[in-house]
Amino acid sequence: MRERIRKMRDFFVTQKGQRAYWKPPEDEYRLAREYAAAQLPATDRSAQRLKDVLDREEPVLFPGERIAFTRTVQTVPEIFTKEELEELKKSHWIHEKGDVCNISVDYARLLNVGLIPKRNELTARMQAWEKEGKREKAHYCELQISILDSVLALAERYRKKAVQEGNETVARTLARVPAYAPESFLEALQMFRILHFVMWCGRNYHNTVGRFDQYMYPWLMRDMEKGLYDEESALELIEEFFLSFNRDSDLYPGMQQGDNGQSMVLGGLNEDGSDSYNLLSELCLRASLELRLIDPKINLRVHKDTPMETYVLGSTLTKQGLGFPQYSNDDVVIPGLLELGYEKKDAYNYVVAACWEFIIPGTAMDIPNIEALSFTRAVSEAVEDALSACADFEAFYGQVKRNIVGQADELCERVKNVYLFPAPFVSLMMEGCTENAADISEGCHYNNYGFHGTGIATAADSLAAIKKYVFEEKKVDAEELKRALARDFEGDEALCNLLRWEAPKMGNDDDYVDGIACRLVADFADALQGRKNDRGGIFRAGTGSAMYYVWHAKDMPATPDGRHKGEGLGCNYSPSLFSRCNGPVSIVQSFSKPDLRRAINGGPLTLELHDTVFRTPESVEKVAMLVKSFMDLGGHQLQLNAVNRDTMLEAQKHPENYRNLIVRVWGWSGYFVELDKEYQDHIIRRMELAV
Amino acid sequence: MQIGVIFDCKEFAVFDGPGMRQTIFLKGCPLRCSWCHNPEGLCRQPQLMVSRASCTDCGRCRQVCTHETCIACGACVPVCPLHLRKIAGETVTAEELAERIRKNGDYYARYGGGVTFSGGEPLMQADFLLAVLQRLPGIHRAIETSGYCEPAVFETIASELDFVIMDIKLFDAEQHKRYTGVDNERILRNVKLLCGGEKPFVIRIPVIPGVNDTEENYRKTAAFLSGAKALLRVEFLPYHKTAGAKYGMAGMQYSPDFDPEGSIFISQKIFEEYGIRSEVL
Repeated sequence: MRERIRKMRDFFVTQKGQRAYWKPPEDEYRLAREYAAAQLPATDRSAQRLKDVLDREEPVLFPGERIAFTRTVQTVPEIFTKEELEELKKSHWIHEKGDVCNISVDYARLLNVGLIPKRNELTARMQAWEKEGKREKAHYCELQISILDSVLALAERYRKKAVQEGNETVARTLARVPAYAPESFLEALQMFRILHFVMWCGRNYHNTVGRFDQYMYPWLMRDMEKGLYDEESALELIEEFFLSFNRDSDLYPGMQQGDNGQSMVLGGLNEDGSDSYNLLSELCLRASLELRLIDPKINLRVHKDTPMETYVLGSTLTKQGLGFPQYSNDDVVIPGLLELGYEKKDAYNYVVAACWEFIIPGTAMDIPNIEALSFTRAVSEAVEDALSACADFEAFYGQVKRNIVGQADELCERVKNVYLFPAPFVSLMMEGCTENAADISEGCHYNNYGFHGTGIATAADSLAAIKKYVFEEKKVDAEELKRALARDFEGDEALCNLLRWEAPKMGNDDDYVDGIACRLVADFADALQGRKNDRGGIFRAGTGSAMYYVWHAKDMPATPDGRHKGEGLGCNYSPSLFSRCNGPVSIVQSFSKPDLRRAINGGPLTLELHDTVFRTPESVEKVAMLVKSFMDLGGHQLQLNAVNRDTMLEAQKHPENYRNLIVRVWGWSGYFVELDKEYQDHIIRRMELAV
Repeated sequence: MQIGVIFDCKEFAVFDGPGMRQTIFLKGCPLRCSWCHNPEGLCRQPQLMVSRASCTDCGRCRQVCTHETCIACGACVPVCPLHLRKIAGETVTAEELAERIRKNGDYYARYGGGVTFSGGEPLMQADFLLAVLQRLPGIHRAIETSGYCEPAVFETIASELDFVIMDIKLFDAEQHKRYTGVDNERILRNVKLLCGGEKPFVIRIPVIPGVNDTEENYRKTAAFLSGAKALLRVEFLPYHKTAGAKYGMAGMQYSPDFDPEGSIFISQKIFEEYGIRSEVL
């Protein structure tokens, strides 16, 4: 890393020097009250709020920087009052905060055009709609034009500031972008920065980066052919650009600090079977390796012909302890998406949402994290309601399957009538929206919903224990088990020990229990197959957990795998927290058994490897082989961590010494010391099983 | 039927030979190095291991125990609510063990690896080991050994192996005896066999503060190895303070006869002078 990048990293990430320019926090409902009083339509509110933030932004330039734009307005005001939102919730499903989020826009729709040509296009469209008498659509174009005017005005203020401060690079860049399409790599990066910046100012969040190495590649290549950059100077610029993802991130909404969805996807198969991994993919990996920052979050698309060197570079990145790259397997994901009805060109173009859900850039208003199915609950309720009456395991499993269908019914019913807040700026980068003057919040080409599936290992382990001890060995009586679970094993320690420590566990390459997990995945997918949501989309099954691994565990009574009431579930697609697995090879073998093409909402196998495993280049290569083996065996997605439990315990005691300690939480990495203790403790629990 | 005792099977052993490997730990060792980090590998018999740190002293283990002194019967293992007890040491037939190894043989082979036998000292169960090795056709087989056994036995075993990792803990015979309890004459003879042969091998030096981390020891070792065609490299394994971690579990006392806090001296340069590549693990 060059000295100037080191200094910038220190300023923005360690010192957080940009905070000095933050305006004080404001009343969040200032605008909402005005809008409510004026009975303003929602789209107008959204456009006006974005303009309000942009117009109040003041340019800040830092010495020597080449890529400008830093947030100074802390509070992005609400567009609805509390009362209005309560009213909306009565008749609608409000997803999370209500804003359009967690999608992947097609940046090229603006990047390749420039805002002034786009503005001209919108003006022409507005006039056409007016002629047709479609006032509302004309008005929508007008709102978008006014947003572009605010963006252009802000860019102009920045340009003037750059001239004033003698920053010729920024001044020159902003003389071209965002008004017109970039002509150089630097201009393209600056324009991306502006587009991304504007999205956050409009309260859209989990703004993913998508296939950056694909849509940015032409600019890099052109400049390199011109001799403007060699690999090292290109790397330096990319590092400076990567820093921009970490400037304002403290202001981004998320469940926990770090959960901001700035995921970047590198590489991947083309439709003709060739690999799209290019020099820019490589430079992005190297930039992340040198910077050691939580953003952007790197995802690597791999397939059966991905060379070992790519896995090795990925594993070297894992060694840094960032918790990424996360790998996804094109050989499983693409067929899975095709089976769900995604078009070929889209399936090949997939990216990941904020965490891991597979989505399509530019054409999907999918909500892949709309709800979650609890495998554990399906088992737990079946024990309660049916175990005593079942003659054999198959009869009992039948009840579990009915419960899965029942939960699917319940979830599909619950997520009806989704209302998303209008997002006129984001809409400019989504298919069909500009052409139809339609807002992305109302839908796009794909409008699919995805459900996570939590606690699969706890569920499979519980079922295996029941099969073995209740039905086959008849060692445990059904009534006795029910009583013990109801009392949380109070007075039944021996039984708890048997279930907890002796019973078969998923993660040991044991078909007895893994076979049950295969059925659970298939039955979850079956339960959703053929259903339509009220936006015309489908429902997708997944193996992720997000924060549900905490939520679904809280009220869950003791389970037949010997888990106590309230004890946590494994995060995402991983062994239960207390199962002692033979090792990572067995885990990889167990977890690749289910047909994961059917769990295409995503959710990675999560592996923790002790950091000593990364000690030599040769051992790092073996980590790479382990990753590759999961893919070769048919795994869909993998995320692994280099961990050291002692370090984390030390960090809890002395957070001041561990500001840079990065850990993977569920679908994203964050700074350990900034997490709530509950999450810190869960991660430490996970570490105890590190192999 | 050959019967042996093993105390662990480790998946994904990244420092035990080429490619992805599984490592099988054979129980029992004729050496008594005071820096040994696998105390449960020392005696041949199965033994009880207890993680005492989390023990709440609930007493259930005492309630079920019917023996004056522990015979590793295992009665107390399932009653512990925290699963803190286990028996280290499993008696298996050569065929059973080979079967277990073969189960994932293809997996490891696909990633350039195979199986490594470690310990304890795997050569202490040479007949058993030989029987297992002969049952593993097509699997890459390695050993991690102190090299302490009769050269004839060593040769027989080595002929069934694809790769050898062997220690030269101390070059000086007297010092070797003092710190490991045995003479190194056999060991060096076996190293010589490797040096004259074509089987790829690695020499390891556990670097113990104040014991063997001297210029003289390294120089003698390097000179001894000099010119060995099949020697891939020398690996230094710096002493780790956690070496004593498992002694308490095995009901033993960790009493190193050196200063565990002492700093260590490593010199890759000396080996370089003799044309030997080295690596610090």
